Amino acid sequence: MKVVIQTEKLSKYYGKGGEIKAVDELDLEVYEGETFGLLGPNGAGKTTTVRLLNCIIKPTSGTALVNGHDILKDETEVKRVTGLLAESPGLYEKLSAKEFLEFIGALYDVPKNVLSERIDDLLNLFGLHDRRNDLLEGYSRGMKQKVLIAAALIHDPPILFFDEPTSNLDPAAALVVKDLLRKLADTAGKTIFICSHILPIVEELCDRIGIINGGKLIAVGTVKEIIAKTKTKTLEEAFIAMTGGIDEKELLAWREHRGASG
Amino acid sequence: MPAAKWLVIAKNRYRTATSSIRSIRPYFLPLVIGLLAIYVVFIAPAVVTPLIDDFTAFIITRAAVPMVQIILFMFFFYLILIPVTDTLREVQTSQLEILVRAPLKPSDVLLGEFLGAIPFYAIAITLIIGTFTALLNPLGLDIIQNAIIIITFVTILLSALWIGTVIAAILRTKLGKTVRGKDVGRALSVLLALPMIAVGYAIYGGGLLTALTSSETSGMLRAVLSVLPSSWGAEIFVSFASNPGNVAAVGHETLTRLGGLIVFFAATLWLGTKAANRAYSLETVTFIAPKARPDGYFYKTIGYLGGGGSSGRLLVSIFKDYGRRLENLSWILYVAVLLAMLRIFISDPVTKPEDALILLSAFGIPFLGAFVVGTVSRGRETVFLYKKAPFGIGKFVKARLLQSWLVAAPIAAALTVISTITVPQITLASLLVNTLLGLLRTLASVVLVLGLALINPIFTEESRERNLGIVINLVVVLFATIGLEIGSTRLGLSFGKILPDLNQFTVLLCDHLLLTAFFSLIGITLLYLGTRKLSGIE
Repeated sequence: MKVVIQTEKLSKYYGKGGEIKAVDELDLEVYEGETFGLLGPNGAGKTTTVRLLNCIIKPTSGTALVNGHDILKDETEVKRVTGLLAESPGLYEKLSAKEFLEFIGALYDVPKNVLSERIDDLLNLFGLHDRRNDLLEGYSRGMKQKVLIAAALIHDPPILFFDEPTSNLDPAAALVVKDLLRKLADTAGKTIFICSHILPIVEELCDRIGIINGGKLIAVGTVKEIIAKTKTKTLEEAFIAMTGGIDEKELLAWREHRGASG
Repeated sequence: MPAAKWLVIAKNRYRTATSSIRSIRPYFLPLVIGLLAIYVVFIAPAVVTPLIDDFTAFIITRAAVPMVQIILFMFFFYLILIPVTDTLREVQTSQLEILVRAPLKPSDVLLGEFLGAIPFYAIAITLIIGTFTALLNPLGLDIIQNAIIIITFVTILLSALWIGTVIAAILRTKLGKTVRGKDVGRALSVLLALPMIAVGYAIYGGGLLTALTSSETSGMLRAVLSVLPSSWGAEIFVSFASNPGNVAAVGHETLTRLGGLIVFFAATLWLGTKAANRAYSLETVTFIAPKARPDGYFYKTIGYLGGGGSSGRLLVSIFKDYGRRLENLSWILYVAVLLAMLRIFISDPVTKPEDALILLSAFGIPFLGAFVVGTVSRGRETVFLYKKAPFGIGKFVKARLLQSWLVAAPIAAALTVISTITVPQITLASLLVNTLLGLLRTLASVVLVLGLALINPIFTEESRERNLGIVINLVVVLFATIGLEIGSTRLGLSFGKILPDLNQFTVLLCDHLLLTAFFSLIGITLLYLGTRKLSGIE
């Protein structure tokens, strides 16, 4: 299978002397047409990894190839072949959904005749066609999320990065996104890289997953392999076993210390 | 062939800026161009007609060059400041991520942002040029001179805008990455207006122009002014005004200065595009989150002043939220500097010693009240925290009032002392009484402003909207202050009439106290109504 994302000791350090290791010597391979999920607790380095792979920030050391393009040397090409739904994305709130997608399409050189048809199709898919001329400032968070997913798809890139794709979405919209991701991978042959805290989504959609903690990749494999490796029963248990959790008896300790009662 | 990226960004900027007038967007530009043409051809000449004789006499005097230099410098500086303050007020980097992750060059983004804003700045530029040419035309300038003046103006003003755009982009990137940086940006946006106000005051009452025309005092100032590109343009205007219809008489100087301006513009463009890489980076600069230090004596005292217990802790929390925002502190600094400038440039402590106190009472205290109180809270959610708690809104209003008093009172006392001690032969008794009166008026002013802020609550984090709310409250308090003062004088309301045996000092003191009491009464009524409004908010 062709490798489309390959990181080589990819690292991003912050602070004096690099004492904060956001991503630490990450070695990872993602295959063409695969849906890969990156899991990790808050501050584990998921978003930094995605930002590095999309050339938004530069690595401290190491590099990565995205669809054969080096993130250090072929920045523009890497950006062309990827679509990104960021964790805390920016929006031009004073534009309508249609105007925003026109703008993003123009930034990615989508031909004009293709663009308007694609905008209509994507807005129809997400049930926003009737509100295409409404300013984004009037959209709910879920509706904005749908527009941002449409923006990530607008130039139909071979590799898609989704950072928390179903956050802010209602169950029906989340189902549309899940089905869409499945179709993109199975039918359109896209490579999909998902970062999420929502384990059932990752479990349901991803062919393989990676678990990152403290900037280090601590496990890679299928869900079954990860569960087997940790000798647990569910992905949740496996995740907690690898990244740490809180002992059940500690949950109400805060009351006992102060002598609170029933 | 795909459109140039800078053009895509420029179009998007224009679309964003005109989103509120989307329905008339196709007619907006022709409409503006038409209105500007009417201004340049008809209105500007009519407006300047009464000034023509004075201007014609002035333009050939020694003062003309420095005056035009200063006017052009102010336009130049102001056009640099507009994009900078606009950006600093709301440092946003979330949209930047869209651009950074797209396949385009940083210089395209910078150029696009600049060009997208040009249609709006062009309105200001045309108004300035239209007025200047209307003033110069009656002198008999020929078409070449007019064309050169227009080119000069456009070059100077576009250079300023470009410099402002580049600085704004760099500052946005530097400051937008942290919450602290955004706060610094908001504080700077408040303070950046002060140099312009200082120049205005220095011209109006500080004798700046006299200093510039005097050969004894102006050496340094002239040297500084002469290196500014805006001054090269000023020299072209004045030389044309002295030689109307005869461009050849000053041909060499004109070519040198205009050439210098064009080279300057080209150089700023080149340097700006080189700086674009710095302006469009999302590299995190720090991972160190601002930390709260354990409460020291200061907060312990605040807690004690708040009544101790849970009320004290509530006051301390509100105080911390206020004091840890540089923007709030910058408003206080703004009032202090503004008063200092009024004192230095406008009021004369020798011939009019009472001016300082009038300025403080009529302007300083209302400004202080409005800027210290600000808006009710930084977010609607915060108010809901209080609504959820038992008697929460009452506790909140009480704590906000105490916090505003505790901030405003020492500043008001300091400002009153400074304004009073500069008055010659002031006695200790007068100093103490003045300080007490200043304090009382400030406390009453704070009650009034807080009442107004509660009646029309603004919860947004957006600086522009918040500042508008503050300014509206300020205007109301200013009118109330000046209105009450003038009203009481007109109506002859004075203790001197009721009790003619009182000495003048006691009469003044009682009159002042009566006004403060009346002011407080209005404030307390507004505070009551505002608290009810806040309690009912959904």
